[in-house]
Amino acid sequence: MKVAGEEPVEGDGALDEDGGGRASAVRPFLLTAGRVAGTAGTSKGPPIPIETQVVATSGGLAALDSFASEHREIIAACRRPQSLAELAARLRLHLNVVRVLADDLRAQGRLRVYVPRANAAQDASVLRRVIDGLRTVPDSRGFLREG
Amino acid sequence: MKADPSGTVSPGAAGAAGSPGAADAAVQQPPLPVKMVIAGGFGVGKTTTVASISEIEPLTTEAAITTVAAGVDDLSHTPEKTTTTVAMDFGCITLDPTLKLYLFGTPGQERFGFMWDDVVEGALGGLVIVDARRLDDCYAAVDYFENRDIPFAVALNAFDGKVEYELDEVRWALDVSDHVPVTVFDARERGSVRDTLLVVLELALERVERAQGRA
Ligand SMILES: Nc1nc2c(ncn2[C@@H]2O[C@H](COP(=O)(O)OP(=O)(O)OP(=O)(O)O)[C@@H](O)[C@H]2O)c(=O)[nH]1
Ligand SMILES: [Mg+2]
Repeated sequence: MKVAGEEPVEGDGALDEDGGGRASAVRPFLLTAGRVAGTAGTSKGPPIPIETQVVATSGGLAALDSFASEHREIIAACRRPQSLAELAARLRLHLNVVRVLADDLRAQGRLRVYVPRANAAQDASVLRRVIDGLRTVPDSRGFLREG
Repeated sequence: MKADPSGTVSPGAAGAAGSPGAADAAVQQPPLPVKMVIAGGFGVGKTTTVASISEIEPLTTEAAITTVAAGVDDLSHTPEKTTTTVAMDFGCITLDPTLKLYLFGTPGQERFGFMWDDVVEGALGGLVIVDARRLDDCYAAVDYFENRDIPFAVALNAFDGKVEYELDEVRWALDVSDHVPVTVFDARERGSVRDTLLVVLELALERVERAQGRA
């Protein structure tokens, strides 16, 4: 299995073509046809969490050129798994715009959206894994945690 | 791991390491994302904390928060809710190939009760960073975590290595419950940030285990 997140995500060349300018604040809202995630008019229930992982499907990547700019950028950025928060930050889009666009692309089979289980915070085994993982993080001088 | 026809999948159900299944072999399996919240008033060291331990340069995104206007204490008065867009920065740590911890730094604001639901929902825990010279900047965050029953610790950022108050004084001044850890840390030191996060996670684990013991 090729594993996500081994390398820093910055290396994704697809995003560097951005030109660096701040995306127009209005256009993405036009793209979402005025829908805002988590409010009436879209999905019922709470908005999907900001840490939700999004990955392009091979179909999405193959059809990359057929998409308009924001959609194309999202798919290209999702060659490797990304959180919604990372997507919004890297593409300079409002989080709620990314939620809507990602959901559109999911419905078209261009992205897979991995909504995390809601109860991870109540799962002792998840907490233990996080604790064990964090304990292996060395301090600034490379030393591991004592004890 | 199962994919439903809609393309929405739940990762990490059994450790997330399972085979990708039939759907799309080319699609990389994402890690299970978990998150913690780094809260506190202006300039207390939230971004510094995230940067110290994140494997990427902290990123900034804009999120919607609902602020509740002051006067929430007055029960006869329905608090006015306003949705505001705030900048929020975050970083992440890949703990293992199947598990990634996100740290979200949320801005503080005096005089507003906060509802960071968008960020906090599902968080493993929170850290309220405090600058001991400006204690009142953090009340909103402390209240928020206490009211929502989210495991958190108060972390005094030792600017220049000095803490001018005793931890007991800080605890007293903030009026946090006895079970809330109050610690000193250095936002610029990765080891210090790591250990402070571990305090919160151990508290969270203790709580879950206690709840399961009762069940
Ligand atoms: N000396 C010292 N300076 C610190 C420490 N932590 C943060 N700083 C500095 O304090 C300033 C504010 O820190 P930030 O991390 O930006 O604080 P913040 O909470 O993200 O601030 P806002 O996002 O503006 O609310 C920066 O100039 C930091 O370099 C510390 O432990 N010691
Ligand atoms: Mg900051």
